[in-house]
Amino acid sequence: MIRKLKHWLLWASLAVALLVTLTQLLQLYGLSGQNRLIGQLLAGQDVGADELATSAPEVRMARAVYLSQHQRYDEALATLNLLLQQAGAEAQAHTRYNLGNLYLRQTMQKAEAGNINEAMPLLGLAKQAYREALTLDSQFWDAKYNLEVAMRLLPEMDRISSGDEQDDLSQKTQLWTTLPGFPRGLP
Amino acid sequence: MTLAAKRLGCGLAWVCVTLLAACSGSSTQALRDFQMQTPRPFGYVIGDTIPQRIVLETRAGMALERNSLPTPGRLNRWLQLNAVTVQELAGSDGKRYQIDLLYQQFYAPLEVKALSIPCFTLRFQQQGQTLEQPVAAWTFTAAPLRELVVRQDQHGEYLRPDQAPPLLDDAVMVRRLYVALTVALGIALRLAWLYGYLPGLPKRSVFKRAQRQLQTLGLPQLPQALAALHTAFNGLHGKPVFLHKLTEFYQSHPEYRSIADELAWFFDYSNRYFFADASIQSQEQDLQKLKAVCRHCREIERGSR
Repeated sequence: MIRKLKHWLLWASLAVALLVTLTQLLQLYGLSGQNRLIGQLLAGQDVGADELATSAPEVRMARAVYLSQHQRYDEALATLNLLLQQAGAEAQAHTRYNLGNLYLRQTMQKAEAGNINEAMPLLGLAKQAYREALTLDSQFWDAKYNLEVAMRLLPEMDRISSGDEQDDLSQKTQLWTTLPGFPRGLP
Repeated sequence: MTLAAKRLGCGLAWVCVTLLAACSGSSTQALRDFQMQTPRPFGYVIGDTIPQRIVLETRAGMALERNSLPTPGRLNRWLQLNAVTVQELAGSDGKRYQIDLLYQQFYAPLEVKALSIPCFTLRFQQQGQTLEQPVAAWTFTAAPLRELVVRQDQHGEYLRPDQAPPLLDDAVMVRRLYVALTVALGIALRLAWLYGYLPGLPKRSVFKRAQRQLQTLGLPQLPQALAALHTAFNGLHGKPVFLHKLTEFYQSHPEYRSIADELAWFFDYSNRYFFADASIQSQEQDLQKLKAVCRHCREIERGSR
């Protein structure tokens, strides 16, 4: 009886092992397809929306990079916003960094076009995104560099006059009091 | 840049500078011990974290007021407190506290610049009384990452590029595939051995050959059928097997004991057929029984019985 049981157990094990092999082969096939999409997007070729529907977050991130490179900022923003909730601190930091880059590029374009009023809030969003990326990963050097680029775009907002380091929260108040246009020296 | 990065990367390593309480006076007497452990005070860039540790020991009956600790979040426009952890240990008399503060600075200086983490005051409760212990401000220098002259590339001001996603990792799947394949191959080999499919192992397929012969034989060829089964037993045992030597056969092949009755019938029938008087009449059911014996032997041979 035990011999018989052992014999059929052997067959059952073979079936399970073959099933696992088949499953892994299928998964590997799917994975290579996703990697092909990532490579295609990073090489500058778009992929169809139907292929993206069930794709991994990495593929959608590659698409966001592609869209951003091709100045399709609104679509890139929508794609990145969907990725903000994905798992993993590293992936989240990368998403926020790419979001920061997206805002910063738009800021630069608006600033070059002389549209400062629209550039300012975008710059604020860029800084916020970089800061969030750095909070998640303090060793993210690209985020550090680009945050510094963003900070220098409007230096008068971010400089701290010497001897005033600890009182940064009152900077806003000081700013308003020194706004041009206010009459001074009047009674 | 690499050297600088390495140096700055060591930011988390504790280059402990132990500062005694900056403010002395009557309040220090409330504490047995007060140490502030800080890392190196130079070489920070935007986004770096700065760990600080305060180790203190109170006198008996004193307890730290937790809400006197700074709250995690933005402290000012360029400084953020990421985490505050307090470990309470039993001291010799009072309590021993280890307070870990993790700051992160976001200041972008144009040149090396001194910055300060603001001071704060720790409060302790002792029988309704509040005692205070100031924690001094800590000054460090921050350096810029970029040159003063704005670097340009073809798109305008130089920016670090977008972070391309990594290719999906298939290492786990490949490992699982190899393991599953190895297991499947191992089991397949074992089954092939059991079923006598491996070359060079004739003893594993004696009943398989006998069964194949028996399938083609009818009642008129009963002697050949009996002979084929005898050949199989002899081949398996390595020497002739007779009815009176079955015990010896079972000793070397105990798995066949489970069909001892059938084997006894076969050897007895064979004896009677070949050596007894010719009155024995061969019948179809005898041939079928013979085939059943052979089939059962084959099942035992391949391990399924």
